Formats: sequence, C-alpha cells, structure tokens
Amino acid sequence: MEIASYILTVAPAFMAYYLASLGQGFFEKSGVLNLAIDGVFVLGIAIGYAAGVYSGNPWIGLLVAIAAAALFGMLLAYVTTKFPISHGAAGLSIMFLGYGLAGLIGVTARNTYNQLVASGVYPQYTLPITPTARVLMFVIPILIGILFYLVETKTKLGAAIRAAGENPHAATALGVDVVKIRLIAAAIGYSLIGAGSMGFLTWIATWSEGAGINHGWIAYAISLAAGRHPILTIGTAGVFATLATYMFALQAAYNLSPEIAKMIPFIVAIGAMVAFMATPLRKKLAPPLSLGRRFFKEERTV
Amino acid sequence: MRIVLVKRIRPLPLGGVLIPLFSIIIGVLISTVILYVIVGASPIVTLSCVASSLISPEIILTFLFLTILGVALLVAFSGSIWNIGAEGQLWLGTAAAAYVALFTSLPQAPMVAKIVMVLLAMAFGGAWAAVAGVLKAYLSIDEVPVTLIMNYIAYYIINYLVRGPWLGKETWGYIRTDMIPDQVKFTLIPGSTTITYEVLVLTILTIALTYFMLKYTSLGLRIRVLGSNPDVLKAAGVNVRVLIIVALAISGAIAGAMGAAQLAGYLHRISYPIESHTANYGYTAILVAWLSMLDIRAVPIAAYIVSALYQAGISMQIAGVSGASATYVFIGAVLLTFTVLRVFSEYSIKIVRG
Repeated sequence: MEIASYILTVAPAFMAYYLASLGQGFFEKSGVLNLAIDGVFVLGIAIGYAAGVYSGNPWIGLLVAIAAAALFGMLLAYVTTKFPISHGAAGLSIMFLGYGLAGLIGVTARNTYNQLVASGVYPQYTLPITPTARVLMFVIPILIGILFYLVETKTKLGAAIRAAGENPHAATALGVDVVKIRLIAAAIGYSLIGAGSMGFLTWIATWSEGAGINHGWIAYAISLAAGRHPILTIGTAGVFATLATYMFALQAAYNLSPEIAKMIPFIVAIGAMVAFMATPLRKKLAPPLSLGRRFFKEERTV
Repeated sequence: MRIVLVKRIRPLPLGGVLIPLFSIIIGVLISTVILYVIVGASPIVTLSCVASSLISPEIILTFLFLTILGVALLVAFSGSIWNIGAEGQLWLGTAAAAYVALFTSLPQAPMVAKIVMVLLAMAFGGAWAAVAGVLKAYLSIDEVPVTLIMNYIAYYIINYLVRGPWLGKETWGYIRTDMIPDQVKFTLIPGSTTITYEVLVLTILTIALTYFMLKYTSLGLRIRVLGSNPDVLKAAGVNVRVLIIVALAISGAIAGAMGAAQLAGYLHRISYPIESHTANYGYTAILVAWLSMLDIRAVPIAAYIVSALYQAGISMQIAGVSGASATYVFIGAVLLTFTVLRVFSEYSIKIVRG
C-alpha cells in the first residue's frame, strides 16, 4: 500500500504537467509556435486562485482558469494567423502580459483572502485531494489524452489541424479555414493548459507572487520530449512529475541534487529534438513543417 | 466591403520612427487601463511614474546592460536567427567571470583579471549559443526552443555550483558565493553608486565594433544576407552552416560579456537561486532588439525607452504587488502592440468594395 500512496502523491503534479503539455502539443500541431505557455500557465494559476477565493468554490476556479487561458490562446492564434507577424514575438509578449496580470490579480485576491480568513471564513480554492480525487487526477487526464490521440488521428478536425500545421497554403486550397482551425486548436489546447494551472495550484496549495513561473516551460519541454504525441506525453509527464514531486527525497536517498533533477526535463527535451530530427523517428515525431512560419500571401482580408 | 492588407512596394516612410513611437504610446495607455481596472492604480500616478522614469538617473545601469544585450540579439536577428537564449548566455558569462575572480590567482593582477573575466565570459556565452547554432545548421532544429530551453539548463548548472562547490565561506547563512575581490570590481565613476568606467567602455566598444562588423566586413554582409535571402549565399558558395553557427556565437559572446560586466560592475557575487535573482535582462532585451527594427543606431534609443518602462514598473507602489508585475504589464503591452503595428511598415490597409 505504501507504493500506492507514493504514486498518489504525484497526482496533482501529473495533472498539472500532463494537461498543460497535452494542450501545448495539440495547439502546436496547428502550426502556431506557442511561446505564451509559461505566462498563460502562471495567469491561469492566479485567476483560478482569485475565482476560488471570491466564490469559495474551486470548481468555479477551474472553469474560470480554463476560460481565461482559452481566451489568451485564441488571441495568440488570431494575431499570428491573421497578420504576417512573428509567432515568437507575439507569444513572448503574451507571456509577459500573463506574468504581469497574474501578479496584479493574484495579489488582489490574496488581500481579500487574508481579510476573509481574519473574519473567520476559509474559502476553498484548491481541488479536493482525497485518495479518490487523486486517482481521478490520473485517470481523467489520461482518458482525455487518449481522446485527444483519437481526435488527432481519426477525425476530420484532427486532419484539418495537422494540415494547417504542415502546409497552411495547401490546406486553404483544399478548403480548410486555417484561421478557424487554429482558433479551435487554441481554444481546446489552452483549455487544457488552464486546467493544468488548477492542478498546479492544488499541488502548491498556497499562492504567492510568481507562482508557477518556469513550470509552463517544463510543460513545454515535456511536450517536446514526447514529440507532441498525446500517448508518449503520458510517459514524459509521469516521469518529470515524479522527479519534481520527490526532488528533495531523491536528494536525501540517492544524493541526486535537486538542481540536476530540475535540469533533466530540459536536457531530455533537447535530446529528443535531436533524436526526432536525426533518426527515422522523424517520420512520426518531427515538428509540424510550418510551425512558427508566417502564413501570408501578398494581400489578406482582415 | 472588405478591409484588406496589401503589401507595400516600399516600406512606410518614417515607419522606423513612427511605428515604435505609436506602439510605446498605445502600449503604455493599455497598461494604464489594466493597472486601473485590476488594482485601481490612478492613471495619473501610472503616467507620472513613466514620465519621471524617463529622466531618472536610476535607469542608466539598466540602459547600458540592455544596450549591450540589444546589440547581441541584433546580430542574430539580422540573420533571421531567433536567439532567445541571451538570458542563459549572459548568466554563463557571469559564472565564467566569477570563476576567474574567485578561484584563480589572476586577481593579483587586476587589469589582466578583468580582461580575462570578460574574455572567458564571452567564450562561454558564445559556446553556449553555438550549441543551438550547430543543431540548427546540421539538423535544422529550430533555434527558438533550443535557446530557450538552454536558459534553464544554464540556470540550474549555476544553481548547482552556487549551492555546492562554489558556496561561499562568509555568506551569513545565505546561499551564495563569496564577494569577488575588491581589486577586480569595476571602478565606479565619481558621483554614481552603480555606473562604472568599464561598463561604459564595454557598451561603447560593443556598439562600435558590432556596427563596423555588420556594415563594413564581409561577415557582416553575409549575416545580413542570411536574414533576407539565404539562397543567394548558397549560390555564391558561402558555407551557410558555419555562418549560422558564427552568428549565434557572436550573439552569445556579446551577451556573455554583459554577464561579466553585471558581476564585476554591480552584483559582485552570485546568489542562489538564479531564477529568483535575475533581472530577466535576457528576455527584456528581445523587446529592445525588436523595437530597434534591427537598426543598430536605434538600439540605444530602444534600450533607453525599455529601461524607463522597466524602472516605471519598479517605482510604482501598488498595495502588496511587487514592481516586477507592473513591469511585465508594461513590457508585454508595448511588445504586443509593436509586434502587431509593425505589419504596417510593410503592408497598408485598403478598403475594397464588393
């Protein structure tokens, strides 16, 4: 039974990293380079926290975090597809905005939280962490992952998303509305990133300014390390969530420095990118051909 | 009736000035609204914070560092190589300089030590960036995720060193290195507590040498052509792979030099963990290089404006919110506005009937 409880401890981290990296991979399949993830992940944590504090209900927090993340994702998809602009610059500017808004919203909510606590009210803003809830934090994300795998490989929507990511001009000629498809991919992908934020908030339990910064990038690395494949991502997210959860225990038991543990996902991500480009894995796991490329002809209706 | 974006035959006249200017104004106004709506910061206070930062002497150090980094990124960006790893490159430079200052006997000859600190920092920053160059040149792996991810690897390498073998003896319980010896600290100019002669010289040298390199050498020409038309280079028999690696290495080396300057000129020690102590200059400099519209003469102007916004955020006193959050709002809003408005330098809006 002890092993089971060790595994269940990882649940919130797994939910956070897996959902965020699944959303990241799904969105990037549509051809938009997503550098906004860290900022929006941090913003999702702060907004989920604020909505939880004001409503006293973490499920409202989850819904609001999902909605806010989806909106920012759609903003990124819209500006990068409608206009001939740099995906990287647009993504990073939304990242900065996300960090800033998260600080402003989170601190305001924390002031309210402290006032509520002083008056004897303790609003619940984290998701339940009973053993059953922890089991569900594994089961539901994995089921969502399988569903995403089926959507990507077996449905018309999945085919359209891949077409938009591989060659948007050809996709347009075949009757795919690239803007619409990327907006849909952003809304769905970023909903998962927002849900991942709530998993993260539940994991860390107390919000402070800067909460979650860099963890969006870990999700980014997890997605890259698995070649954006929904099923392989279960493995990378599971390993890195375990490393992150047991960082200090690993140091005590095996003298593995937490610094090294934190570095591993990033090194594996670069190693995986090399493997996916240099070996036959390329066929299945290489990035979409038009990822981050401007999608534009000589003129365009706005 | 439809609104259509049409490619201009020539870039918008004065676009290089008007577009950044409008972006800054609109971005600051958007930030003012955000700060008012979320935390109730009075627009008058916000705008006067921005205005007073423009003439505050406190921005000079940030201005100098951002100028150096802006030039570093400009070199790569000119070749359409999107180096977003200046943050890691500069911190590796800081670490290399700290190694020379703390663990060699060179500080006994201060002049030599300072020069070696900067050179070793350049070597490390350049080599770190060149890794992404090799992966891009030989495996066509996008440099954006690689340079970004390597920032975090650099952070954790330095964190490991500072917590482990480099942990100082006189740290009063903090996790950090010892102070570097006084004789290798850069020399403050009279009347300033942050500005040193060496950082001033380094900034001027960086601009002058890079300007010369880009404008008057064949390497500079090739980097610029790499950005606009790499097929021409291949046809002319230039080794494009090596060129990509060299451009990234130069970019990283300049960032590394700034890292040495930040150690010897200001920080004087490395504190754990980097990710909470960094000023994020490496990321902020992306905005500087971008706002300059890749004209090196405009880099100091862009650095001046960005450092004022940076300072405006810090000087805003909003109940319980750290300056960083307000700074992020300013930088994000200006960068996003500029990224979109930049379109009009090359495209115009037409209204088409039917």
